[in-house]
Amino acid sequence: MGEVIVITSGKGGVGKTTTTANLGTALAMMGKRTVLLDTDIGLRNLDVVMGLENRIVFNLVDVAENRCRLNQAMIKDKKLDTLSLIPAAQTRDKTAITEAQMEKIARTLKKDFDYVLIDCPAGIEQGFKNAVAGADRALVVTTPEISAVRDADRVIGLLEAAGLPHPEVIINRVRFDMVRRGEMMGIDDIIDILAVELIGIVADDEDIVISTNKGEPIAKNQLSAAGKSFRDVARRLAGENVPFQDVGGGRSLWRKVCAVFNR
Amino acid sequence: MMTDFWDKNDLPKGNTVLIEGPLRSGHKIDYDGNVVVMGDVNAGAEVRATGHIIIFGALRGMVHSGAQGDIHAKVLALMLFPTQLRIADHITCPPQGYEEIAGKAPEVAQITGGKVVIEQLIV
Ligand SMILES: Nc1ncnc2c1ncn2[C@@H]1O[C@H](COP(=O)(O)OP(=O)(O)O)[C@@H](O)[C@H]1O
Ligand SMILES: [Mg+2]
Repeated sequence: MGEVIVITSGKGGVGKTTTTANLGTALAMMGKRTVLLDTDIGLRNLDVVMGLENRIVFNLVDVAENRCRLNQAMIKDKKLDTLSLIPAAQTRDKTAITEAQMEKIARTLKKDFDYVLIDCPAGIEQGFKNAVAGADRALVVTTPEISAVRDADRVIGLLEAAGLPHPEVIINRVRFDMVRRGEMMGIDDIIDILAVELIGIVADDEDIVISTNKGEPIAKNQLSAAGKSFRDVARRLAGENVPFQDVGGGRSLWRKVCAVFNR
Repeated sequence: MMTDFWDKNDLPKGNTVLIEGPLRSGHKIDYDGNVVVMGDVNAGAEVRATGHIIIFGALRGMVHSGAQGDIHAKVLALMLFPTQLRIADHITCPPQGYEEIAGKAPEVAQITGGKVVIEQLIV
């Protein structure tokens, strides 16, 4: 039985889709049977990031409404034969699918796959509820900005309430030069506030934008540091102990005392 | 006669609630009595109490003690850095530059001389 992992954030544009595409790619490169599920109905773009847009015939809503079988909506990756994608519908909205339907789809998929990665839409409404419905585990993506961290905190509270008590956090688009100058929140500051486990740190890297535009997730690029960051997250997901690079910015003694009750 | 401990039967019932934190953005507590939070109260969370509020953690959210007008109500936190702090009908927010000094020691906020005053707790 595989694991269903939802990738969520609250705030839009922080890197959920990028993370889903790259983690899926990295897990598939490790030989794990992986399927990506785009639940951003009406604003689908995981297919574009994966470079699979032109192969879409059926989508998630077609599956939910029994217009096709699950495996008919599955698109195989261009190169990795352990990876596939179920795209969202573009011409419908978040109410086109229910939590019960999502749960059923997730339950079916995890019989045949090691990992089912769900790309969650922004917000905390129906789309979020659908994405979370069948999940066994949650990853929360944030950037080192106060508004993104605030939304991540809100979403962690909602995940806890939904029975996913130990979400793990990916901090994306970190600019280490700004952190060093004290112009950006550090990793420790963010983890202090969110009081959950850290599972990944990804630098802000324009190569991600370039690879995204090409429909080639950067995780495939062995020379890219950002690619390695995503591959590291995949290994941690699979249970490997992969140390974090030292990014500095430790906490003061007092903040450690404050954090005691949250762990 | 033993006089140096409290008999639990003599203590008033239900005037203080203990809440396990952290309280996250969107969480809200409203209590008729005192509130003790074990853990942080994050920005976007709100704690309102007619009595005192004690936070064994970092206070980053909004708190209102003495919410029904008790000017003797206090707010105490291990790290006091609220978005906004209210006591009775006084509304305050941390002054600019406060983040430089916040969090060095536990602090208590209370009304002294008609103003909300924040002082380090001497331990
Ligand atoms: N680490 C990064 N460095 C630079 N750009 C990034 C990074 N992560 C994401 N982006 C860019 O940010 C934008 C939003 O990312 P996306 O994954 O679509 O966010 P979401 O799915 O959360 O809305 C995209 O243009 C993407 O290429
Ligand atoms: Mg997206």
